[in-house]
Amino acid sequence: MSNSAYNPYETAQAQFDGVAAMLDLDEATCEFLRQPMREYHLTLPVRMDDGSVKVFKGYRIQHNDARGPAKGGIRFHPMETVDTVRALSMWMTWKCSVVDIPLGGAKGGIICDPHNLSEREQERLCRAWVRQLARNVGPVSDVPAPDVMTNAKHMQWMLDEYETIHGGRYPGFITGKAVGMGGSLGRTEATGFGVIFVLREALNKLGIAIDKTTASFQGFGNVAQYAVRKYSELGGKVVAISCWDNGDKKAYTFRKASGMDIDALTGITDAYGSIDKAKAQAMGYEILPGDAWISQDVDILIPAALENQITAETVNSISKQVKVIAEAANGPTTQDADKVINERGIFLLPDFLSNAGGVTCSYFEQVQCNMNYYWEKAEVLDRLNSKMTCAFLAVYDMAKSKNITMRDAAYVIAISRVAQAVKARGWV
Amino acid sequence: MDSKTTVNDFLGVLKEREKELNCLYMVDEILAQQQLTLPELFRKVIEVMPPAWRFPEYCHARIVCNGYSFHTPGFLTSSISVKSDIKADGRPIGLLEVVYSEDVPKTDDGHFLDNERTLINTIADRIGQRVLYRQMKSVLSDWSQANKQPKEGGGGGGSNDAWKIMLDFFRQGDHELLATICRKLTNYLLIKGVEEASEILSMTTTRGQDDEFYTNTPALKEPIADIINVSERAFKLAERHLGSDEILVLVKKWIQEANSFALVKAIGNISPSLHDIIEQIRKFQNVLRGDELQFSPKERWLNVGLISHLLSDRHDYIDVAKQHISFKDFFDIINRIICPARSQGKLGGKGVGLFLAQRILANDSDNTPAFRDLKYPKTWYVTTDTITEFLHYNNLEELNEQKYKDIQEVRIEYPQVVRLIKNAPLPPEIVRSLSVALDDFGDSPLIVRSSSSLEDQAGAAFSGKYKSLFLANQGGKKARLDALMNAILEVYASVFSPDPIQYRAERNLLDYHEEMGILIQEVVGKRAGKYYFPLFSGVAFSNNQYRWSPRVNREDGLLRIVPGLGTRAVDRLSDDFPVLISPGQPNIRVNSVPEEIWKYSPRKMDVINLEEGTFETVEVTDILRECGPQIDQVHKILSILRDNHMLTPNRFDIDFQSDTLVVTMDGMIASTPFVKTIKAIMDKLKEKTGMPVDLEFAHDGESLYLLQCRPQSSNDESKPAPIPKDLYENDIIFSAKRFIANGLLQNISHIVYVSAEGYSSLTQLDDMRMVGKVVGRLNAILPKRQFILIGPGRWGSRGDIKLGVPVTYSDINNSAALLEVAVKKANYVPELSFGTHFFQDLVEADIRFIPLYPDDDDAVFNRHFFRRARNFLEEIFPEFGYLQDVVKVISVPDSSGGMTMSIAMNADLGEAMGYLTANVVQIPQDGKNTGFDNKNSDSSAWRWRFFMAEQLAARLDPQKYGIKKLYLIGSTSNGSAGPGSDVDLLVHFQGSAQQMDDLRKWFQGWSECLAELNFLKTGYTCDGLLDVHIITDEDIANKNPFAVHVDNIHEPAHELAMMNPDKAKG
Repeated sequence: MSNSAYNPYETAQAQFDGVAAMLDLDEATCEFLRQPMREYHLTLPVRMDDGSVKVFKGYRIQHNDARGPAKGGIRFHPMETVDTVRALSMWMTWKCSVVDIPLGGAKGGIICDPHNLSEREQERLCRAWVRQLARNVGPVSDVPAPDVMTNAKHMQWMLDEYETIHGGRYPGFITGKAVGMGGSLGRTEATGFGVIFVLREALNKLGIAIDKTTASFQGFGNVAQYAVRKYSELGGKVVAISCWDNGDKKAYTFRKASGMDIDALTGITDAYGSIDKAKAQAMGYEILPGDAWISQDVDILIPAALENQITAETVNSISKQVKVIAEAANGPTTQDADKVINERGIFLLPDFLSNAGGVTCSYFEQVQCNMNYYWEKAEVLDRLNSKMTCAFLAVYDMAKSKNITMRDAAYVIAISRVAQAVKARGWV
Repeated sequence: MDSKTTVNDFLGVLKEREKELNCLYMVDEILAQQQLTLPELFRKVIEVMPPAWRFPEYCHARIVCNGYSFHTPGFLTSSISVKSDIKADGRPIGLLEVVYSEDVPKTDDGHFLDNERTLINTIADRIGQRVLYRQMKSVLSDWSQANKQPKEGGGGGGSNDAWKIMLDFFRQGDHELLATICRKLTNYLLIKGVEEASEILSMTTTRGQDDEFYTNTPALKEPIADIINVSERAFKLAERHLGSDEILVLVKKWIQEANSFALVKAIGNISPSLHDIIEQIRKFQNVLRGDELQFSPKERWLNVGLISHLLSDRHDYIDVAKQHISFKDFFDIINRIICPARSQGKLGGKGVGLFLAQRILANDSDNTPAFRDLKYPKTWYVTTDTITEFLHYNNLEELNEQKYKDIQEVRIEYPQVVRLIKNAPLPPEIVRSLSVALDDFGDSPLIVRSSSSLEDQAGAAFSGKYKSLFLANQGGKKARLDALMNAILEVYASVFSPDPIQYRAERNLLDYHEEMGILIQEVVGKRAGKYYFPLFSGVAFSNNQYRWSPRVNREDGLLRIVPGLGTRAVDRLSDDFPVLISPGQPNIRVNSVPEEIWKYSPRKMDVINLEEGTFETVEVTDILRECGPQIDQVHKILSILRDNHMLTPNRFDIDFQSDTLVVTMDGMIASTPFVKTIKAIMDKLKEKTGMPVDLEFAHDGESLYLLQCRPQSSNDESKPAPIPKDLYENDIIFSAKRFIANGLLQNISHIVYVSAEGYSSLTQLDDMRMVGKVVGRLNAILPKRQFILIGPGRWGSRGDIKLGVPVTYSDINNSAALLEVAVKKANYVPELSFGTHFFQDLVEADIRFIPLYPDDDDAVFNRHFFRRARNFLEEIFPEFGYLQDVVKVISVPDSSGGMTMSIAMNADLGEAMGYLTANVVQIPQDGKNTGFDNKNSDSSAWRWRFFMAEQLAARLDPQKYGIKKLYLIGSTSNGSAGPGSDVDLLVHFQGSAQQMDDLRKWFQGWSECLAELNFLKTGYTCDGLLDVHIITDEDIANKNPFAVHVDNIHEPAHELAMMNPDKAKG
């Protein structure tokens, strides 16, 4: 029965096979790229607070490092499977490639539930993971980052263990550290700004003046907040934002036809993006049902919350006025909806291009760490701007010249770059 | 005008009283100064006296005592004078006098007020005691000094001097004491086998020898000279046979015994007055000051006597209390007891619990130094019978009948009762005492808490049943006193409110004479800006009913902590979350990921606004922005959320204006002994009282304060449920033996079962998401709290949704329980989530989480039941029919021939069981419940309707009226009825037209009657409460809109049992 169960690795491989067929890749390259280059399966004995020892399972899977050191998160997950990690490591390879940063793809994880662990136990677990892998990861080979249920704290413990083993300071070993501990400025803004940088370029190509456009957002977390900020800065008018209300346990859409003041709005928003309904009402916002964001008469839709929001059901409520959808969330559009969007001629900026600002900034963090010189925020964002712009243009040109969708074009570029690197190295 | 004069008079009286009491306190202070000589004491005492009199400017005082004479400047003999003898042990040793040097206006009492006379007597009394104490002390020290000398000097004369000093002292005055000591000494010698003592004994008792008992003429009085002679002989004899040290110890002990006599008498009285007891304790305390008690059987008798008079006469309480409470512990509280004259009241449940806890912890502070730093808020006690006195004083005794009235009547009359009580004055003596209490408290904010005599009954928690009121206690004395009295009256009124009366009725406590004591406590806290509040407060339980991780044990306990006042920690919150900590596992926190930590952290806090004099609930963020830097140690309870991780800040790290601050308690846990201390407290109290405890505490940043202690209540939801035995195998749906809490869920009518095999066979993520969606849709339509969810792995998984059904809290918030099934895969059993994704939501809503491990050897998981049961999914949501191999909607009555499911959980046995049971929809159990439930009005409305519907059905004769079946449908059936809802009945009718007519009339009568009852209960009016739908076989065949209810899962009809005519006749 489990053979027929959903398997993310198989899905990722199927996706790769599709693009590989488009690219007409040779069999060896296909064979090489459709699976990880290296896998580490670890058993991690950890001394618990009560003195007992518990053994955890951990992984590090380096899918491909032809273009540069592998890069990818470390997840804490109670029911992690190796296939999930394999799939995620492969996606990291493509993601780094599409924005053309010199990094490969990797992913790691530890099977554990942090809810059952004290912070000290988590620290020992992080250190145990690094002890086992200290020779196989590092600033020039494999650079981990935070992921599901891990954060800057975990990264800093891991960094410390790594540096203790190697007897030096190697802040470039890991990214996602706090500012002051080797973290980069501009990280908070990076993903949201990145979305708008590619949106700007897209509008430019479509001949639409950004300051004449209106937009509706789903979500108002970190990504959306900075996207809204940058978009407003560039003259765009945000008329609707939907977000989750913690008290009512449901989402609402906040609408203001005259446009929103981002500073006023963040002033009534909590740490994870819930807008205070009463205060918003007092400020003249209309409160609509949560799914109303998608049906607004705007030029641009930016889903920046959850996956599977634009579905076969909801896609038809998208207004005729909509010209561009910029996917800021991961996988907000289902395949059926994708088809409809394509048919309707709406320009779609695929998630792994438009939200690649985050990984780009991680790369910048690593670069700064390696030279032990840290840029000002403006410099970080400036470089982000040019990276994202270049990435967009490459994908756009590909889509245009080969007459394929932006999503396909992004995958084609990503995979072909890796394929070229593998060949250039003479591996296949 | 009149009333103003009265108020002024009254205030005048209060002021005088205040002066007098101040004087008395000062006198006590002076007399307690050991380093002062007697002349110095005398001089100081007369200095503080004149200000207490009505006209201090003309008032002078004089003392003549022990050969000394002092007076205040300007003292003249005057005809306007009041005197009091100073006596030491009944013997006059001097005189205290107060005079006016000028003529002063007279009152009804004369030149001096009665109170002033009492005052001078009291002061004289205290001086006498002090002089006596000093004398005895010096005698005893001379005595031991003298005893030491021969050892040092080698001579034999020293010991002679010693008993001579003793004899001299007694010869001067206290012959009675001398005789007593002499008799005891002789007896003691006799017991030791000293034959000669019998001679002395014959001299000290009576001349009639043994047959004296049998004569009926009074014995002759013994001449005084004899006593001195006899005692001289006795002491000489004693000196020969006992060491001088031993004599010293014995004499000390006997003197104390003799001095405790008055106290013993006060307690031994048939109806001892609290005033007498307090007065005697006070005197005894003066005598004893600084010395250890030397005698033991009497001490035990005194301890037990005081415990049972002041605290509780319950056997089990005394058993525990006598081991920890010594009568000396009462010295501290007697000065802060407010009671009417002739009072025989007690301190009430809350006062008693805390007092015992305090003693247990204090006695153990040598072993556990942390207990030494523990503090208790300053407390004044209003005794339990003060309310009786109050009612009597205002002729309101008839209110005592209130509890026997119908609950409706109680409800109707309650507002009047409140008005009546709040407009009645407290007796003047109580008002005076409250005024003194206020002076003692100063202007610290106060909490007036009920301390009912019923509250110390184990098993009756009364939490939140009576009022506790906060007072800002700011402004002028009069305003503060008014506010305090008003609060006390409000607490008194709450005795007569319907909720506690109902609660008592349910627990058979109605006849028990309820008396309401009151605790006036200083509110623990500090001022910050205009607010006053503790840094944090909370409740602590020995047993943790909510375990969020397999590593958290029940015995690890549970803390619910909130910033500010503890009101928000006590009750379940609907709009906020307390911080949960398991003190045995403080580092295994409920929430681990920063977003969760933030989401489930307290957002609001209760504070006292000192400027407005109000109790307020404010946003934590607002208060931190407004006065964050002024809050002592606030960094210990806060974390900063920065770049998606939590930082534990130090004092200087926090930017109160722009940081995202989260109340986590991380600093308290990591860098203070707080959690360890509270765990030690709970463990110690549990060990000593033999029961798990429930504490309230507060912390002001500096110290931890214990506010309340009682046994962890066995309230309904946390009571261990009996696990039924001898069930048919088929009737057991599941059993579980791991991580079990307590509780009983009944009347479960539906199960939403997500099959493990089905779920893991889904190949599309979209389909898995759809399963979550279906659960959410079902949650919206199934009867609230009457369905449970059973599914594999981790409910609410977000990252990898293969692991469990992806739901959010709003998809499950109507369920009664969430069951996670750990299905063994290959050779490992997956970890369950324990509801972590929405654990705190579950806790606040009391949705139970139960982990099932069907592959455990002794676990039952009735796969057959789940396989066989009919799946209603497609009927309800045809569009989700394709998921029916995955999601099964089971109607329990449908698949079990009309039974419902119950889940019994028993943490003591470590066992839980879900089983089918014949309809237990009869909500009332043990004949206690009358169908009302005051927990919340919503559920009370439908429970009452349900109950009445059953009552009605039980009286309906189906044969007489031609009824086949009777059903309950609509809001009363599905548990959503409110106070204005009607009761929908569905009658499956097979009778004649005449029967139909009769039946309608029969229902009409009930309907009008129930409408009236409902009005009395709720204030809602309507013509009739019943909405009767009559259907026939034909209607059923034609699928009449009401007839479809009979077999409908969305709107399940509940069949009501009608009268069994055969039985009725029999």
